Amino acid sequence: MSVGYLKEAAAAGETEKLLRFVRLHVGDGNEAVGTRELEKSWIEAIRILLREEPVDRDLIDSVMAKDEATLALLYFHLHFYLVRRSGEWIHDGSQ
Amino acid sequence: MTEASKAVVDEPAATAPPDPREAGTQLRAGLWQTINERYPGSMVTRDTYVPLARHAKPLAEARLVMISSCGVHLTSDRPLDVCHPFGDFGFRRVPSDAAPADLTIHQLKYPHDDADRDINVVFPIERLQEMVREGALGGLTPNFFSFIGYNMDPKRFERTVVHDIAEAVATEEHADVALLVPA
Repeated sequence: MSVGYLKEAAAAGETEKLLRFVRLHVGDGNEAVGTRELEKSWIEAIRILLREEPVDRDLIDSVMAKDEATLALLYFHLHFYLVRRSGEWIHDGSQ
Repeated sequence: MTEASKAVVDEPAATAPPDPREAGTQLRAGLWQTINERYPGSMVTRDTYVPLARHAKPLAEARLVMISSCGVHLTSDRPLDVCHPFGDFGFRRVPSDAAPADLTIHQLKYPHDDADRDINVVFPIERLQEMVREGALGGLTPNFFSFIGYNMDPKRFERTVVHDIAEAVATEEHADVALLVPA
């Protein structure tokens, strides 16, 4: 799926194609695995918050003031951070 | 599926003109159709044929540059972005006299356990250094080039990474021959 293909889908409101691409990306080409991976990152986020440790709200405020492109990419970085933290790493690369 | 990829998949083989890529030795037969079936709307089109150039001088007199999609970089460099869903549109220069201990692999899309033990598996820098010492190669360019092969925007990739590496190879590194190493 090229970016051109995804832009066409976005313009046509075909959100399922966009979501399928995300699932394939985070699932290393397997859509079912990608769905599980997306759930896994949310589960890990909740597990961490359940420890009720102090958080740096100032940092969050400063990050949220950034441009939306940076924040959207950060969202993907956080996904991979959380699945790495989960201890169940399905990707071929190890970093 | 885009119209371009439909044309490739749906074209009857009997009436299709011979594909110069498949008539030669650049890629195995059927690869284009396989990619377009598996990744509808993907990046492969029929107008991307790149003619090969003949050697201008013997390897023993030539200066070689290595260009790889392996994502290898100096440990001191910022890693390429493996999380971006469209890929990283940057590259890294790797000094050709670097030692394996100076290098690391930052990748998400291929297993590199073996390459972590021996970087030459995906980036044969020591083998090339040996070939120069043995006289099989005339020399190496000061820098090699590395980027991440995963990329979803081939047109932008060509305008940025490919263009910038090609320009550096020609104007800064003055290479006679390039070794392209996929990973």
